[in-house]
Amino acid sequence: MNPLLEQFISESRESLQGIGEKLMQLEKEPESSELMTELFRFVHTLKGNSGLFDLPELTRVLHAGEDLMDAVRNGEVAYSPLLADRLLDAMDFVGLLCDEIDTNGSTDAKHVNNSVRLADSLRQLIVVIVPTTEGASSAVVNELPIVPEQPDPANQLPLSDIPEEISMAAYRAAVTGKPLHWLAYSPVEECFFQGDDPFYQARQTPGILWGDITARTPWPKLAELDPYCCVLDFSILSTATLEELQEYYRYVPDQVRIIPVPGSFLILPQGEPNGGPVYEDFVADALKMLHANNIAGLTHATRSMLDVSNPNLWLSAALRWLLLVIELEPDNVFVCERILLSLRTMTPPVWHELAGGCDTRINGDVNSELPHNLAQEESEPVPAMLSPEVTALIAAQREILSLPDDIAWLAGRLKSVAASLSGCLHAIGANGIIQSLGAALDEALAQRASAPLLHWLDSHFKPSVDAAPFLPQSVQPATTTQIGQSVEEVKYGRRAEDSYSGPKSIKVDQVKIDRLMNLIGEMVVAKNALPYLAGRAENVFGVRDLSREIKSQYAVINRIAEEMQDTIMQVRMMPVSFVFQRFPRLVRDTSHKLGKEVNLILEGEETEADKNIIESLGDPLVHIVRNSLDHGVEMPDVRRALGKPATGTIFIRATQEADRVVIEIRDDGKGIDPEIIKRLALEKGIIDNERLERLTDQEAVNLVFAAGFSTASVISDLSGRGVGMDVVRTAIEKVNGTLQLESEKGRGTRIRLSLPLSMAVTNVMIVESNNQLFGVPIGSVVETVRIPRADIHTIKKNQATVLRGRIVPLKPLNSLLGQHVPPRANEEDELAVLIVSLGDESVGIMVDNFRETVEIILKPMTGVLAGLSAYAGSALLGDGSVLMVLDIKEIL
Amino acid sequence: MAITFKKDRIVFSDVASGEDAERLLEWLQKHPKAKIDLSACTHLQPANLQVLMAAKCSIIAKPKDKLLADWIDSALQLI
Repeated sequence: MNPLLEQFISESRESLQGIGEKLMQLEKEPESSELMTELFRFVHTLKGNSGLFDLPELTRVLHAGEDLMDAVRNGEVAYSPLLADRLLDAMDFVGLLCDEIDTNGSTDAKHVNNSVRLADSLRQLIVVIVPTTEGASSAVVNELPIVPEQPDPANQLPLSDIPEEISMAAYRAAVTGKPLHWLAYSPVEECFFQGDDPFYQARQTPGILWGDITARTPWPKLAELDPYCCVLDFSILSTATLEELQEYYRYVPDQVRIIPVPGSFLILPQGEPNGGPVYEDFVADALKMLHANNIAGLTHATRSMLDVSNPNLWLSAALRWLLLVIELEPDNVFVCERILLSLRTMTPPVWHELAGGCDTRINGDVNSELPHNLAQEESEPVPAMLSPEVTALIAAQREILSLPDDIAWLAGRLKSVAASLSGCLHAIGANGIIQSLGAALDEALAQRASAPLLHWLDSHFKPSVDAAPFLPQSVQPATTTQIGQSVEEVKYGRRAEDSYSGPKSIKVDQVKIDRLMNLIGEMVVAKNALPYLAGRAENVFGVRDLSREIKSQYAVINRIAEEMQDTIMQVRMMPVSFVFQRFPRLVRDTSHKLGKEVNLILEGEETEADKNIIESLGDPLVHIVRNSLDHGVEMPDVRRALGKPATGTIFIRATQEADRVVIEIRDDGKGIDPEIIKRLALEKGIIDNERLERLTDQEAVNLVFAAGFSTASVISDLSGRGVGMDVVRTAIEKVNGTLQLESEKGRGTRIRLSLPLSMAVTNVMIVESNNQLFGVPIGSVVETVRIPRADIHTIKKNQATVLRGRIVPLKPLNSLLGQHVPPRANEEDELAVLIVSLGDESVGIMVDNFRETVEIILKPMTGVLAGLSAYAGSALLGDGSVLMVLDIKEIL
Repeated sequence: MAITFKKDRIVFSDVASGEDAERLLEWLQKHPKAKIDLSACTHLQPANLQVLMAAKCSIIAKPKDKLLADWIDSALQLI
């Protein structure tokens, strides 16, 4: 998942929580316009963000929510608990989608239905009070969008418009198990302005067999025609599955109705209704053969009849259909019979009316919803074909009977139900069972309960139809997916009892992390007390075993503490991209301002370091990059004249090397001229003539880091305010970083910053001097040597020694700290010298003795001690004593 | 140019865009008898189609793409 989406998810969760809270607060004070505005802003932001991604389901719901909240905010719609309910529902849905995106990276097209339903339920609330007059929302509202899963029954479709060969192909497809769907696609009027091309959309429908375009309204005169107001309706017959179609039309689900069509519904012969009863003989013969299961004979007879008939006749069309049915479904006697019977009337069979009782025979694969009536037909005199009205009526009676019985007017209710049913039975010609109905009624009246009647109803009409009594789809076959969806629809939302998949990241106040950091620091110190204890146990109390045990315990605690420290450190890690991300803009703007062409290349943005380190990097880096832009990269024409590409390049790369982050900034500009630097340094009094002679070019270049050095002759508003690179150096050194500059005149400059990954733990070497312990950061220690007193020479007042052919100045630590005690030598009259690096030079510090190196948590000096610049800070040692850590650069 | 206007014919080629519909409408208002040649047409932005439907144009050449031709037949009720 890309970081943008990740952020969106985490922000969305926050917004959702915010929306939930605001809604709760609103329940208490529904008049608060402030809360309302905040609520609107949440929804608005959420919707805006979702638009960045390809999440139509999400955006649709949020858009509706935004519209609604806008209306509420403007006082057009009053706040109501219903509104809150629906909004919360919608937000639950959004949360659900967020979870799904989180796990799968995208949302499933199956959510289209819920999305449309929720969006509609929200929009309905807007319409109640403010009937919008125009715009997208009104079009949607007025059209009463029909969710694809609740389509009109297939029986009202103009299936006869489909040409015979396509109907036959579709029927063939249906028989071979393919789904058939009728799509009614009514694009909104302003769809052209939204960049839609509904015609193209329709043409590309998956599994398209046939399509038709009709105009919704009669065409006006050409002079009054607005060609950009879409009034076209598209009808499409497709063999794609419901899911495929929903996926394909997922952006306009409110404009599309998808209706499953049983294959047999397409058997609609068309043609000249010439002739008439002339065919009676044929029909009679054919029926006889059909019932005798003489398929071969029937085929033969049909073919001969077809041969002698005009192919344009209605009769011929019916016969062609008959042949097709015999070919594809030779067992489907029912359909064949209907086709033959229809020859008598010259009207196509009304399949949907027959559908109730002829499921398996009409189309076994689609019509599996209503298998019950077929079974009834044999045993009970209930007609096989129940029209939708009858089914609905029976379902309604069943519903009435399911109501609680504890009412005074139960008898009246029972009687009325019985009367309805009896009338109904009469109408469908099922007179045979009216009597048993009467018996059931008597029994019910006697028991003062609905049960007997209900039982009667169940035994004669199977209750499977009653799931949705008044919906036309009870007649119309529903596929299993639809059932699945309607069940899901009831419970998509999440409530308290559902398990939440919590967010993967948490926001923590930095103070808490710092506290954790301090605690682990103290833990490390406390842990370090154990070896002392072990030592005491052995030396003072003389219990060796205990000492060993303490040491082994210490090893365990040590391991855990180190891991803990590592982990806490990880928490504080941040990628350098945090700093890098500002550079593209900075380089672009600055180079524009300067009229230079610069190409910025960033590498290693994912390299991580401690938050403090990263933050301290920001300003120095900006300074360095500005310097490169301002002083480094030349103007395009200068560059061209020098034979360089007109566009300069600034290259910033971050890498991790052991426990340090290295950042390299390189440009291919004019570089630094050591001669100019030397001259300037002399002018500014940073170096004297004598030193000028000895400076190498590399050393000269590094003078830019000297305090008070700025090479720019003109102070621009970008860089060169006189604060120069020494500020950069100071900032980097403050976080124990080092910085290297290499430059080649005419070729470019390279600056290398090396920073510790984390500054929490410092390694120091403990030295002893004048009976005191001091810490020296290990980073500045080059080596430790013991030098015989004889090898120490005094030059003027300064002491020095020759170490491996180089003169190293020596300074006693005591005198550096203002103590007039000479350093102590050991038995062999050797002095302990700590060689430390100071920039490019090495200096020897004379101490009394070396001790071990320890990891400490360096605490900066605070309060009155803050003024003591000789010390970088203090730390607690394992035995509880305080160690002062020297700031070598300051004391030398 | 997806639509070429000739003396008594309008010839479509490739894809007629939404902007073309406006000129098509103007032209058809001036030349209501113009015949439509769609043989080289691969797609019509539906605004064009609406103009053709409203003007009840007579098509002298159908698109080569059979499916597109069927769609246009259905739209202009030429079946």
